[in-house]
Amino acid sequence: MTALFLLPLLLLMALSTLTSAAPDSDYHEGLVLQPLPQSSLLASFNFRSNTSQVSFEQRHFRYFPRALGQILQHANTKELHLRFTTGRWDAESWGSRPWNGSKEGNTGVELWAWIDAPDDDGAFAKWITLTQSLSGLFCASMNFIDSTRTTRPIASFEPAGDHSSSQLHLLHGTLPGEVVCTENLTPFLKLLPCKGKAGVSSLFDGHKLFDASWQSMAIDVRPVCPESGECLVQIEQTVDMVLDIDRSKRPRDNPIPRPVPAEQLVCDTSKPYNADDTCYPLEKTAEKGWSLQEIFGRTISGVCPLTEDENPGKETVCLRVPHERGVIISPGASETRNPDGLSRCFNLEPSSPFDLIIPEQEALTHVPLDEPALSAERTIVGHGQERGGMRIIFDNPSSSSTVDFIYFETLPWFLRPYVHTLHVTIIGRDGIRRSVPVSQIVKETFYRPAIDRERGTQLELALSVPAASTVTLTYDFEKAVLRYTEYPPDANRGFNVAPAVIKLLGLRDQAQSYEYYSPVYIRTTSLLLPLPTPDFSMPYNVIILTSTVIALAFGSIFNLLVRRFVAADEAAALTAQTFKGKIVGKVVALRDRIKGKGSKVE
Amino acid sequence: MTTKNEDLGSSPQTTSDPDNTATTIMSSKTSAQRVPPPEKPEATRARFKVIAAFWAVIILLGLPIWWKTTSIYRAHLPFQEMVDWADGKSCRPVFPLEIQIAAPSMPDPEAQLLLRTTQHTLDDLNEFSAHHLRLKLTEDGDNTGYIKEETHEKADTALTVRLVPQDNLPTPRSELSPETTQLDVFYSPNQSPVPSSSNSPLSTFIAGELQRLFSEEKATIAHILSNGHTQLSENISRRLRRSLKYADTYHLAFSLFTPGPAPSSWAVQEAIEDYLSPLLQAFAPISNFTVDTQVQLYATFSPTAPLPEFVESQSAWTLKQEDLSAFVNAAEWPLSPSIGSGPTINFLLYVPDPSQSPMVVKENTATSWIIPQWGGVFLLNPPLPTENPSNPPHLSKDSLRPAFMTFSHQLLTLLGTPTTPTSLPFRLQTLIRIRAATLLLSASSTMGSLARLTESLPSIPIPATVAASVSTTLSHLSATCTHLREGRFSAALDNARVAETEAERSFFEKSMVGQVYFPDEHKVAVYLPLLGPIGVPLVVGLLKEVKRIVKGLKGR
Repeated sequence: MTALFLLPLLLLMALSTLTSAAPDSDYHEGLVLQPLPQSSLLASFNFRSNTSQVSFEQRHFRYFPRALGQILQHANTKELHLRFTTGRWDAESWGSRPWNGSKEGNTGVELWAWIDAPDDDGAFAKWITLTQSLSGLFCASMNFIDSTRTTRPIASFEPAGDHSSSQLHLLHGTLPGEVVCTENLTPFLKLLPCKGKAGVSSLFDGHKLFDASWQSMAIDVRPVCPESGECLVQIEQTVDMVLDIDRSKRPRDNPIPRPVPAEQLVCDTSKPYNADDTCYPLEKTAEKGWSLQEIFGRTISGVCPLTEDENPGKETVCLRVPHERGVIISPGASETRNPDGLSRCFNLEPSSPFDLIIPEQEALTHVPLDEPALSAERTIVGHGQERGGMRIIFDNPSSSSTVDFIYFETLPWFLRPYVHTLHVTIIGRDGIRRSVPVSQIVKETFYRPAIDRERGTQLELALSVPAASTVTLTYDFEKAVLRYTEYPPDANRGFNVAPAVIKLLGLRDQAQSYEYYSPVYIRTTSLLLPLPTPDFSMPYNVIILTSTVIALAFGSIFNLLVRRFVAADEAAALTAQTFKGKIVGKVVALRDRIKGKGSKVE
Repeated sequence: MTTKNEDLGSSPQTTSDPDNTATTIMSSKTSAQRVPPPEKPEATRARFKVIAAFWAVIILLGLPIWWKTTSIYRAHLPFQEMVDWADGKSCRPVFPLEIQIAAPSMPDPEAQLLLRTTQHTLDDLNEFSAHHLRLKLTEDGDNTGYIKEETHEKADTALTVRLVPQDNLPTPRSELSPETTQLDVFYSPNQSPVPSSSNSPLSTFIAGELQRLFSEEKATIAHILSNGHTQLSENISRRLRRSLKYADTYHLAFSLFTPGPAPSSWAVQEAIEDYLSPLLQAFAPISNFTVDTQVQLYATFSPTAPLPEFVESQSAWTLKQEDLSAFVNAAEWPLSPSIGSGPTINFLLYVPDPSQSPMVVKENTATSWIIPQWGGVFLLNPPLPTENPSNPPHLSKDSLRPAFMTFSHQLLTLLGTPTTPTSLPFRLQTLIRIRAATLLLSASSTMGSLARLTESLPSIPIPATVAASVSTTLSHLSATCTHLREGRFSAALDNARVAETEAERSFFEKSMVGQVYFPDEHKVAVYLPLLGPIGVPLVVGLLKEVKRIVKGLKGR
């Protein structure tokens, strides 16, 4: 099912991976455009370059970016996966995810890497080096990935490259609160050999990219050792985004949506009207028209002429629309239609700009969208400042097959789950809720409890959801109280909890058409956890209050001890002799004199 | 507590004659008031004891606890010694250079005489006493004229002068071999000194030659030791300004920049192996190097940079000399420094677009320049085909030759190598002495700054690691000084390197500066609410008691 959607793309990829064995350094780029329902457009950019392992180790960088290569060598990192994601993939309307979800990450920044180190501590030290350096390179706060945000997943990730070392350590870190923006795109573009100046990368514009409904930037570095030939280091950069066509077509200087002018409204004439100025507007049945210029604000400026192919512009841009859909392309470019009837690719002229215009047209057929094999939803439930609960709902839409998957989540240390409260209910299509023993759904559990201020909770569950049923997993947790200095400046906003990663297993049997097995990943949305927040002027209040109490107590005790007690009528005699008493006497005398003068005048 | 009966009593009394009546009434009133009985001595003693007890607790318990909990750890630093080093009182660096004279064909007494006279002439010529040349006869100089390898390689021999007799020479002639530190002096036997005269043409000539060879080094070291107070020739001061600070490891980054898609590959690996590796190996005793290379396509000039202009007369695109500083587009070109300690030296090979080729510097049609303390740039104009001009996709090793020759010269300059004489080993030895002197002075002055800093800021902590680093620095500094005095310059450089690293580490210790930013208002806000209400009764009580005791003493 899932394979159908990206079959051409994956075939292309597999093919080029196989043929790319011969040159020690090559480059490939591609763009796949696919209109999605609700006037959305999925644009999938892919850039891949290779360098031989030998020249990588000797630090001769050609298409592989030097800045990243140095970091990887310095941190002994053999395989790196870095993701910058914003927005939410709307699986209900857009179907299954591009690249089977393997090229997207958690909301914010997600990073995982295989590090070559003799022991765990060495690996962690290198990991810190890696995050610090990447943070500088990508202008992201990855330096905040410390030991509390770092986990070592057991079953959720597998190395994608061919490794020779046996001392690899997988480390994984996420920053769910990171806001991905233009300052992350600029360094991303600098890593490309053509730098966004030629080829499909010339379409990148920060304003459009980060205005998308969903976008994901990915960097994957892995060693590839073909059966014949020398080992390569491959870097693959991917950008996937879902643009809202209507929103993107609005001019940047006038971005406010306007109502359709009255004369362009199509009214439902079957309804009775009592006046001319009323109208029941009809839904448009035609598919939206768009062009690259309108959507991205620019056209593709030629071809990045670094591919080793004889024809560098061959099939760089592909469009997935039915064949009867009319497409106007720039002169000089040519079109190749794929036999499946649903997609076509374009051969670009090397040095002239390329634009793609799709006029508005009545839609007769649609490109079928795959239904995702599983949908997952994760929320925080409960109320109060002290306790809460987590609820994860898995829905298996298939009526015949069971879905097996690994559920992986990392929780911050201040969220303390009670694993013994793990509870499973199952709802079949009949709508009856049944409680089942946990072991019926959860096949295996890996749990690594948190240590306060040192590491977070790591929970990996091997789950199995039967056909046509919805499984709800719940557990309770307790919220810790943080120290005064541990609160961020925006403490009342809540604390981000990283999304859960779901890795679907058992798809190998269904997909016979392509050779290599790639797991399907699904990620839930990130959560906000409200924690009890103190009044931040508290320390000073405490100091002043306790000081006052101490001063009061001390003052009265001290006075009781050192004062001399006399009768009330004896006090006047004593006070007259003191300094204060003398002053009072003088003041009284002065006042009497003034009053006396006043009475004389009278 | 006190009642105001005085007020109440006096106010209704103010009638017609205030002066008289008031006094009489007052006197009658005081006589009417009851005076309390005198305080018992036990009560006074008890009060004294109470106040003394409170103050005892404060002084004996409170103050030490406060002191203990708020004091910062300041390790002991040898301030005087550090300041002495900075002021140059601990060590006066001297550079006794040993020069071996090998005169295989000369009889021993004659050679001795030559040595004496030459040394004498040299001493007369030298006006900078810290740097002096000491001549010495090679021990095995009298056999065969073949100089043993070990003698030749001995580190503390700055130069070997080999005397070769040759007939029919009107004046002596010298030749410095470019691969070794050996000076061949050819002379005709009749120029050798005779015992009767105190001078001879040969000794004068040798002395003059030596003086000339070491003149640049001497000037540089004199400049360094005097903290830049001496006047230098324009040449040397420019070289010093351009060169980078000394580091253990330098990262060399070679980048190919081009505004278009070609050339996208270059034979850089072979070029570095052939043209640069020998130089880097020669530098191994001084510094280590890492090399990495990159290709950057579509590298455009910065939008604010002045564009090259076409000049008909030169039939070339030209860059003005004053605009060269804006040539490197630092914002967009990925020239980030390498990871790891040590500075990065960038070498840029720029291949202009075919539409702007050839590109040269306007004033002198040069194609390369140095960016001081940063790196070098070379403009490579590959030959273009006449029809449909485009850059070649690959740059071969031969086409990179001029660029890498330029880069190796630029590297020498950036590392501070003297420009004279021609022999590279000789220049490297000079560099060792210059670097040792620089490091010695810079580490010493860091010590002085650290001493002044910690003395002027009493609120910063001094961790034990800083004290350890300081003591390591000082011991290595004195070792450096000893090695210099005894002419072991490589060992001196090694020690000076350690001293410099440790000095920098102690000066830039992170935990020292944290307390500086703790504001005093903060302390007032914490202390005042407690100390105000408690302190006032305590102090008043103490004052009263002191007054009473003083009164008692006076009364007695």
